[in-house]
Amino acid sequence: MMSGLRFDTYDWTGGREAMLRFGPDTGPIVIAALPLFEEANRTRQFACTILRALVGHGIASVLPDFPGTGESEVATVEARLSDQRRAYTDLSQHLGTRSYALSIRSGALLDVDADVAGRWHLAPQTGGNLVRDLERTRATGKSARAPEGEYAGNHVSLDMLDELRGATPRDDGRYRVVRLDTDPRPSDATYAGAPLWRRSEPDNDVVLAQHLADDISYWIASCEG
Amino acid sequence: MLVIFEGTSQVETTVRAVLADILGLSADRVAAFTPDTPLFGALPELDSMAVASVLTELEDRLGILIEDDEIDGEMLETFGALVTFAAGKALV
Repeated sequence: MMSGLRFDTYDWTGGREAMLRFGPDTGPIVIAALPLFEEANRTRQFACTILRALVGHGIASVLPDFPGTGESEVATVEARLSDQRRAYTDLSQHLGTRSYALSIRSGALLDVDADVAGRWHLAPQTGGNLVRDLERTRATGKSARAPEGEYAGNHVSLDMLDELRGATPRDDGRYRVVRLDTDPRPSDATYAGAPLWRRSEPDNDVVLAQHLADDISYWIASCEG
Repeated sequence: MLVIFEGTSQVETTVRAVLADILGLSADRVAAFTPDTPLFGALPELDSMAVASVLTELEDRLGILIEDDEIDGEMLETFGALVTFAAGKALV
C-alpha cells in the first residue's frame, strides 16, 4: 500500500513509544531521528517533509518518539541517552535488515548501537557540542533566571548531560554525511539552505527537503545494489 | 579543518548571512545593515536564545571559538560591533 501518514507504536525493552509511519509496507525503511531538545521542535516539520518526499521514491519510513522525547510518557528529565539508544536498537531490529538511519544533528547520537544497513547523517552534532549549546543558551538567557538543570525550557538531568558529553556519532560501515554548503566541515555532499535547527522561529524548506530525499533515495539504492 | 578568510569583508558577508538564516530576515533587509544598525534590543527576532544560536552558527562557519564570558551586550549592540568582534576572532 502506498499511503501517506499512519500512526503506530513500537515496543522496546523499557516500554512503548509512538511513531509516525510513511509509505509502503515493503522494501527498505528509513528510521528518522530528530535532534534532541529544542532543535527537535525546529526540525520536525522539515523531517516530515523529507519523509513524504521519500514516499514519492517508494521508500517507507518511521518517525519515532524515543523515551523522553515527543509524546513519550517518560519525562524529559528522566530521559537517558542509553535508554534512547536501546529503544532505537530494538526498533531497528523489529523493522528488519533493510532499515536505514536518517539522523539529523544530535539524532545521530541515537543510532550508534543499531545494526542498520546504513547511516545517513544531516549535519551530525557531537554530544560535547550539544552540551555546549545547552550551556550557552542558559548563559545568554540568565536574566530569565532559569532553575538549575533547565535549558531553554527543557529539564535535563546531570546523568543525561554526563552521557551526552562523551557521545559521538558512528561513522563506519555504509555511511554518508550531508551538510549545508555554509558548513566547512568534511562531508560527502553539501546542499544550499539555512540551518532550520537554529532558526529562532520554526520554519520549513521544501526545496531542500526534496533534494535531501533525492540524495537519500540514490544512496539507499547504491547500498542495496 | 583550515578556514582561510581574505579579510573583514568576507567576515561581514558571513555575519550578514548568519543573521538572515538564524533570525529569518530577508536578504534585502540584512543587505541594508550598516555598521551603525542596532541589533540586540532593536531586532525583536534577536532574543536571548537567538543570540546563542547566532554566535554558535558564527563559530561553525568561521571556524572560531567564542568563550561564554566574552559574550556581552556591547558586541551585539550594532552590526558593526558584531563584525568587528567576529573579525578579531577569525583574522588571526
